[in-house]
Formats: sequence, structure tokens, C-alpha cells
Amino acid sequence: MNVEEIQSDKFLDARGLSCPMPMLKTKKKLRDMISGEILEVWGTDPGSKNDIPDFCKKNNHEFFGYVDHEDGYTKYYIKTG
Amino acid sequence: MAEVRFWSFIVQEFKHGYKLAFETTWPVWLVGVLLAILSLLIFLWWYTWGIIGGIGNWGDWIYYLLGIYDSAPEKTIFENGMSVSNLGLVAGAMASAMFSKQFRINFAPKLEYVKGLTGGVLMGSGAALAAGCNVGGFYCALGMFDLSGVVMMLGLAAGAYLGLLYLLWEMENLPSASDSGRNSSSRRSWEPVKPYLGLVLFILIILIFLLSSQAGSTQTGGLLFFGFLIGLIMHRGRFCFANAFREPFMTGDGKMMRGVLISLMVYVMGSAVIKWGYIQPPEAGVYHAFWLGSLIGGLVFGFGMILAGGCGSGTLWRVGEGHVKLWMAMAGMIISYSPSLAFLKNYDLTKWLSYHGVFMPNIFSWPISLSLFYLFCPFLILILFWNEKTEKFVLF
Repeated sequence: MNVEEIQSDKFLDARGLSCPMPMLKTKKKLRDMISGEILEVWGTDPGSKNDIPDFCKKNNHEFFGYVDHEDGYTKYYIKTG
Repeated sequence: MAEVRFWSFIVQEFKHGYKLAFETTWPVWLVGVLLAILSLLIFLWWYTWGIIGGIGNWGDWIYYLLGIYDSAPEKTIFENGMSVSNLGLVAGAMASAMFSKQFRINFAPKLEYVKGLTGGVLMGSGAALAAGCNVGGFYCALGMFDLSGVVMMLGLAAGAYLGLLYLLWEMENLPSASDSGRNSSSRRSWEPVKPYLGLVLFILIILIFLLSSQAGSTQTGGLLFFGFLIGLIMHRGRFCFANAFREPFMTGDGKMMRGVLISLMVYVMGSAVIKWGYIQPPEAGVYHAFWLGSLIGGLVFGFGMILAGGCGSGTLWRVGEGHVKLWMAMAGMIISYSPSLAFLKNYDLTKWLSYHGVFMPNIFSWPISLSLFYLFCPFLILILFWNEKTEKFVLF
């Protein structure tokens, strides 16, 4: 599946933020979402590439994957569990 | 024909190994073990590893050059052991970030800079109160069998808890303007060059080590090299004490703290051999503020490191990775640690804070001190697993 074709329901811009803000904001955003909705997160902190999948695994959210954008940030796709 | 096969095999395996080393994140426990080994090597090579002493040296110089302090520090930034290992740490993290192509000047929204600077100032003064940062006052204090490390651990945990409460408040109440437009202009054209820059940096460090050895300061040169390795491994595992103390309250994830505890178990075993065997004096590195200074200092430092998003060591390796927010945090530590310490000494507050460690083997004997570590660390590791499952300590 090409993750970039995913239509996301909610969006979070965490670009420029460093640990722990991207994870903290992602957690808060996911709490306010309905099960099954898809969240798209944009971030620049390299740590998020581990933190976000780990967090999803632990909290039964489905992590679809991430894509590196050519402008230097990364897009993450999460389906709330 | 056979030769061609040989080289293509070597190249293929090199690429595979490189990918494993620099494109994947190393397991936290592995970095913990390696960190303990490097700390022990530094202890054998020189003395107990630390960070804030070097930060203090930088601050002393800045205040001296500004004309605020009357006398120049005894040693230059290239002579002070901790200053040199700090420089190595930043260089090592930068090299690792170059090898993995993660290096990038990362600009943040303005509020983040304020938090970085404030967090840095708090970390500097907290480290002055505790006579050490998360490395000297907690990690190495415990590694050296100084009971102050336990007290600072409590302080750090409480500080991290309060820091997280603040971050939650901030998310609800302060607007978060994502001012990231400048980042998107980062050109990717120099991406393929990064690993070579990392290599240049590595060769440079080796050269400086060799040159300083020829000039008769092998020990100081070695500290640069050890610092470089610490920066490299910490960056590869994104090893961070702020993360270790914060995550059990934030997501429940106890991975980093377990890494710290595993690291300590290796560290104390080695340090016991070195101290018990009189290779280094038994009470080496035992001078922290038991217990008031370590408790208050830990609290202030813990709060600061959550604001800044990096502890003493975590700030330095993130400086090497290019986070402008952490540059602010480092600046904050530099401007606050030196005058805070001078203030405490000037008003004789160090006595009141009790600037003397408590050497555990003096109270419990060697076998029991070691056993205590091997009882408490696994117990805490189990508690962390339990918290991961039940989220009992998770704040929101």
C-alpha cells in the first residue's frame, strides 16, 4: 500500500519541534479522535521514527508507516485503535 | 575472477554493516552497556566521567573574558578534562548524525527557544546545587557508590513529573505557532556528502589525539576520543536521561530507564573491581551533596531537562545533531552553572547543602553495597514493566 495515498481525517504539524513535543502532541491528538480515524503527523525530529511506531504498538493504534518528504520532514500515518 | 568476487563481497558486506550501524537505531540496553564500559574506561584512564565540570569551565572563561570574574580559570578549554570530553561528545554525535544523514540545522518555534534557554538555566543551577548534572550527580555518583545518586534520582523523577505537568498545561493554554517554514528550505543536495563529512570529523579527532599525544598530553587527547565515542553511541541509541525519567509518566514506556538501570549494573560491577582493587582511590568521585543539595538540585535539574528536552548528555548530543533549541539549552547551562556555583561557595552554602558524598561501602560494606544494586535495579525494572502494562504512573 502506498501510504501517501491515504486520506487522513486529522492533521498535526510538529515540524521544528524536538523530543518530547511531537510525541506529546500526537498522544493528545489521538485521544481526541474516534476509533478508526486516521491521523497524519508531519515532523522533523529523527527520534519520532522510533517513538511514534513504538507508541502505536503499545496503545493498539495501527501505524501505517512514514514517508520522507523531499523538503526534509517526515509524514507519519496512524489509524486510531 | 576470484579477486573481483572478493571485493564485491567486501563492498556488499560493508554496505550491509553500515546500514545496520548507521541507518537503524541501536537498542537502548546495548547503548547502556557500552556507556558503562566507556565510563569505566574513562575512570581507569583519567578519573570519574562528568559533563557539568566542562560546562563550568566554559562559563568561567566567558565571565572572565567579559571582565566579570577577576581571575582566569586554571585550565583552558583544551586542558580541562571534562571540557575536552564534552567537545568530543558533541563531535561524536555530529559525526554519527552525519553518517546516518540525520544532521540538520533544526529551527524551532520561538517558544521552544525560550523553553530551551530557561531549561538550560535551571539545569545549570540544579547541577550547582547537586554538585553534578544527571551524569556526574546521578549516573556516575551511583556508579562510584555515592548514595547521593539515589537522592538525586528521586529529585530528578519529581522534577520530571512537574516538568511534564507544565508541558501539559502549556499544550492546553499556550498557542503553538508552528514556525517551521525555514526548515523546509533545507537543501537536500548535500545529503550524499554528509557521511564523508562524518568521516572527516572522525579522522580529525584521531589526528588531534595523536598530535596531543606527541605534545605530551596523551591523557587529555584520550578524553577527546572517549567523549567522541560516547557521543556516537548515545546518538545511535538516542540515549537520553530526560527521556528515561519522563516516559514512565508520559507514555508509560520504561525502555530508556531500563537501559539506564542495566547500564548502572555494569558500571558498579566494574567500578567495584577498580576501587576494591585500589587501582583508583576507593572514594574517587564521591563528593556529591548528600542529601539536601542532591534532592533540591535534582528537582530543579529534572524540571529544567523536561523543558529543554535533553539532560546534560542529551543536550550535548542533540547540539551535535543540529537542534537550535538545544543550543539555547547549552547556552543556558553555561551562563547559569558557573555563577550559581560561585554564589553557593561565596556564601558558604555548600556546607549547608552538605557537599560531601556518602560512600556506600563505608556504611554497608562492599558485598552488601553491590548486592543492593543487584536487588534494586532488577526490582525497578520489574516496576517499569508493570507501569508499562497498567499505566499507573501515567499522567494523561
